[in-house]
Amino acid sequence: MKPPRFDYSRPSTLARAVELLAASDGEGKLLAGGQSLVPVLNMRLAQPSVLVDLGLVEELRGLRREGDVLSIGAGVRQCDAEKSPLVRDCCPLVPQALRHVGHVQIRNRGTIGGSIAHADPTAELPAVALALDAELVATSVRGTRTIAARDFFRGPYTTTLEEDEVLTQVRLPIFADARTAFHEVARRSGDFALAALAAVVRFAPGSQTIVEARLAAVGTGGTPVRLDQAETGLEGRELTPETVDAAAADARAQLDATADQTVEREFRRDLVGTLVSRALTEVRP
Amino acid sequence: MEHSLIDPSLGEAWRPRVIGVRSTRREDDAILRGEGQYVADVRLPRMVEACFVRSQLAHARLLGVPLEEARAADGVVAAYAADDLDGVAAVPDLHKGGRPVATYPLARDRVRYVGAPIAVVVAADRYAAEDAAELVVPDLEPLPVVAGMDEALAPGAELLYPDWPDNMLIDAPASNPDVAEAFAGLRSVGGSYTIQRVGGVPMETRGVVADYRNGRLTVWTSTQYPHIVRTMLHYVLGLPEGQIRVIAPDVGGGFGTKAQIYVEEYIIASLALRLRRPVRWIEDRYEHLVTAAQARDVRFQLEAAVRDDGSIQALRGQILHDLGSGEMYPPGFNPSFVAVGMLTGAYRIPHQQIGVRCVVTNKTPAGAYRGFGMPECTFALERLIDKIGGELGIDPLDVRRRMLLDPGEMPYVTASGARLDSGSHREAFERAVSEGERLTERARARWADNPDVRIGMGVATYTEGTAANYFFTSGHWTNQDSCDVRFDPDGGVTVGVGVSTTGQGLHTMVATVAAEALGVPIDNVRVVMGDTDTSPHGLGGFASRSTVVAAGAIHKAAGEVREKGARIAAHLLEAAPEDLELVEGGFHVRGTPHRGVSWGDVARAALVRTVDLPPDVEPGLEAKAVFVPPGVAHAVGEDGRLNACPTYANATHVAVVKVDVRTGIVAVVDYVAVHDCGRVINPLIVAGQVHGGVAQGIGGALYEDFGYDDLAQPQSTSFMAYLIPTASEIPPIHAEEMESPAPEIPFGVKGVGEGGIIGPPAAIAGAVEAALAEFDPPELTATPITPQDVHAIVTAAGRAS
Repeated sequence: MKPPRFDYSRPSTLARAVELLAASDGEGKLLAGGQSLVPVLNMRLAQPSVLVDLGLVEELRGLRREGDVLSIGAGVRQCDAEKSPLVRDCCPLVPQALRHVGHVQIRNRGTIGGSIAHADPTAELPAVALALDAELVATSVRGTRTIAARDFFRGPYTTTLEEDEVLTQVRLPIFADARTAFHEVARRSGDFALAALAAVVRFAPGSQTIVEARLAAVGTGGTPVRLDQAETGLEGRELTPETVDAAAADARAQLDATADQTVEREFRRDLVGTLVSRALTEVRP
Repeated sequence: MEHSLIDPSLGEAWRPRVIGVRSTRREDDAILRGEGQYVADVRLPRMVEACFVRSQLAHARLLGVPLEEARAADGVVAAYAADDLDGVAAVPDLHKGGRPVATYPLARDRVRYVGAPIAVVVAADRYAAEDAAELVVPDLEPLPVVAGMDEALAPGAELLYPDWPDNMLIDAPASNPDVAEAFAGLRSVGGSYTIQRVGGVPMETRGVVADYRNGRLTVWTSTQYPHIVRTMLHYVLGLPEGQIRVIAPDVGGGFGTKAQIYVEEYIIASLALRLRRPVRWIEDRYEHLVTAAQARDVRFQLEAAVRDDGSIQALRGQILHDLGSGEMYPPGFNPSFVAVGMLTGAYRIPHQQIGVRCVVTNKTPAGAYRGFGMPECTFALERLIDKIGGELGIDPLDVRRRMLLDPGEMPYVTASGARLDSGSHREAFERAVSEGERLTERARARWADNPDVRIGMGVATYTEGTAANYFFTSGHWTNQDSCDVRFDPDGGVTVGVGVSTTGQGLHTMVATVAAEALGVPIDNVRVVMGDTDTSPHGLGGFASRSTVVAAGAIHKAAGEVREKGARIAAHLLEAAPEDLELVEGGFHVRGTPHRGVSWGDVARAALVRTVDLPPDVEPGLEAKAVFVPPGVAHAVGEDGRLNACPTYANATHVAVVKVDVRTGIVAVVDYVAVHDCGRVINPLIVAGQVHGGVAQGIGGALYEDFGYDDLAQPQSTSFMAYLIPTASEIPPIHAEEMESPAPEIPFGVKGVGEGGIIGPPAAIAGAVEAALAEFDPPELTATPITPQDVHAIVTAAGRAS
């Protein structure tokens, strides 16, 4: 469990980082918190020619509100986002989800952008990004572009980031009228999720009537999925035990139609249904 | 019985002075400061590192091992395959109970499991060694894979050992006419019970550093028994034992995993001899999870002949045990025989007849793991008792009550021949059950408002054989251990012992017992263990033996020293020895406390100012002693019975679980362990053993699993898949001690190392089954119990209704 040889650079600017990455011709890897990459290196599952350590790149550190958007630098440590009053006030879903990311020691090192770019199919933050319709900002020597979360996750550990691109910023919309919840089932506390659900529900002022519901699930496929059927079914309705049940059933039905039929998958789909009920029950005003 | 424990020389009114006192462990200061010295901390000049090339296939013919490329790689010192290691013999099959496996440290013609060592590369550091090892591509011709017990026993199965007629390493049928008679007249209730493959997985992996200089080989190895390793190195490498020094430095957990002698130990030692420079191998976690000894992996077919009140007249059945490739010494089949020996536990069950069949498959070789057959047999019997209760409509707790042994029945010889010397079987049970019922009610109240939560309680009662005879396990070593007690001129004491620690607090235990026996402050006792050059010969630490055998040896040696000390003290005090009293720190004349001498005065006379000695006393103040645990047999008797242990601990465990019926997640919310390990030397250490054992047991009941696929490829090759419980999964453990002193062991002590792990699989399975009662669950007969299992039960009930 020792990595093979690689070159190591630790640039202090984003410009230099993307240059180094571009120069590696697709053979380079970015190192942020290292919570996934380092084990993979040690198991020799990845054998990059160069590691570009982003640890000194200040541009990736920012955490600020820009109007109706919360901008989180990709290099922000998960523990910092988890404890930030700004994040809690603007996007409570983020700390709600972060509680489930590994253990404290992992969150002390792991970064927001690292987890999203790694795109582990059972990871929490991709679900958050998808549920909030985050904008993911990527930079390369060729310029900067913004990718919608819906267009970002392509499969297990696969995103639409190009080989030479660095995820620099995660932009999350701020909803004053939303209530959010994050629920997860795992074998042990801090484990990879068997299933998890991020829920964002916006209510009409002073009522139980749902203006918009966004539900993103992980655990049933290679990427997080939006439970569109359940979301549509909830819109304009009041959140009652009946609508909760209907949403859970819609979620199961949608996943049934799209995923394979192994016993384990069926179990995970049931879990998602359960998590939909629990999350919706929690967000009820 | 207590009077028999009192040492006459200590006076009739002996009450423990330091034994029984809760005190912190002397080991912890260094360990907690990071000042422990483990094998990986051994750094020697010119040291090189080894990396093994291991089989990627579970079963294959080995046709060749091309090493040229690796030898030419950067930083490589040498690379070897089996043919290059002449002088390294096959590991002797010292246990004659099973078919010989004749394992060569590096594979010769055939590999039988993924991870089998094929070649070893030595380089400047581990990075270079791994780079070069990657260049070695052994020429393997795949053979059909035997991935499990049923495949191994199927007609026409591929043979792992072509000269055997089948894949059975040992087949030990049993017969007992009393059992046949019982079954002829009584109702029979039976089942099949499976415990999955798990292992000790200590925090510190294995590791070996070897150095040969000035005609002597020194081997630092993370082992539970340095003297046994030394003898085995002598057998395999041919070096006289006097030329070998084996050191077990600080060891970060053993749990039985390190009570095996591994091929890597022979290989690294032989490399040091060959290269004349220090060689280091530190096992990484992948290697550990794939190649270190694994355990359990058993299926019990168990049937009871049941009387109308639910009590059992006889048990019959068979244990089927998957040994993996079988290339392990001591052999992996031993736990099944312990399971036969301990099956009836704390119950009055007159007869049994249990066959054992151990098969070889293309999995990692099986070996020892804490509990060693006892969690397995406890799981099978306790689950069966729950089933009997269900079938007869009798509360399973009452079924147990009808069979529990009472103190007046001690000593009690069980159906297998185990001679239970003492115990609190019924009282421990009643206390645990009543505490468990209270906690269950509390849990019910706490989650009463949650419609998705069910609470259940399960019980497991067991006896734990401690200081088990090792002859039955090793086929070679027996059971004695030794110590030497040596005074310094200033009154300090050095106690060398043959037991060896893996972090469980043996230094503190030895110091406490010696302080008790000699009347010196604990801090004046220096303890030496784990080094064949400085410790007296002994078998090390396993089988919950260390406390029993070390205390026995110390008692004997200290007695001699005390007697001599008293004669010297009497001379110094101009009194008669029989008028003296041993007090903390020295002797004084009974009734005249101001007329006294310290151990320092006595030792100075014995070692320095020998002119002060009485004329008939020789200089010196030390003694050596060997303790042989009493009452154990070395072989099965004509009646098929055997007592393997000098003393038996007992306990009842109760698990209270909370089951989320919609997610299938089981959480143990409270765990009760009322246990009895005889006289407690240090309650803190005993609690640590119980807590740690329970935690490991919870791991086996709910999380851990060494799974293999159809090609016997290991599936749990990292901690992502091998799920060890973390602090979050361990509930409050309500441990209560009872003390039934061992009548035949000095100080009345019994072992406690394995107890905690024995109960959880049975107690937790029972608790989950109880929690799911409304869903009419099938009997839970296998561990681990996963969320998916629970979900399946709940879903099936939903479909049925």
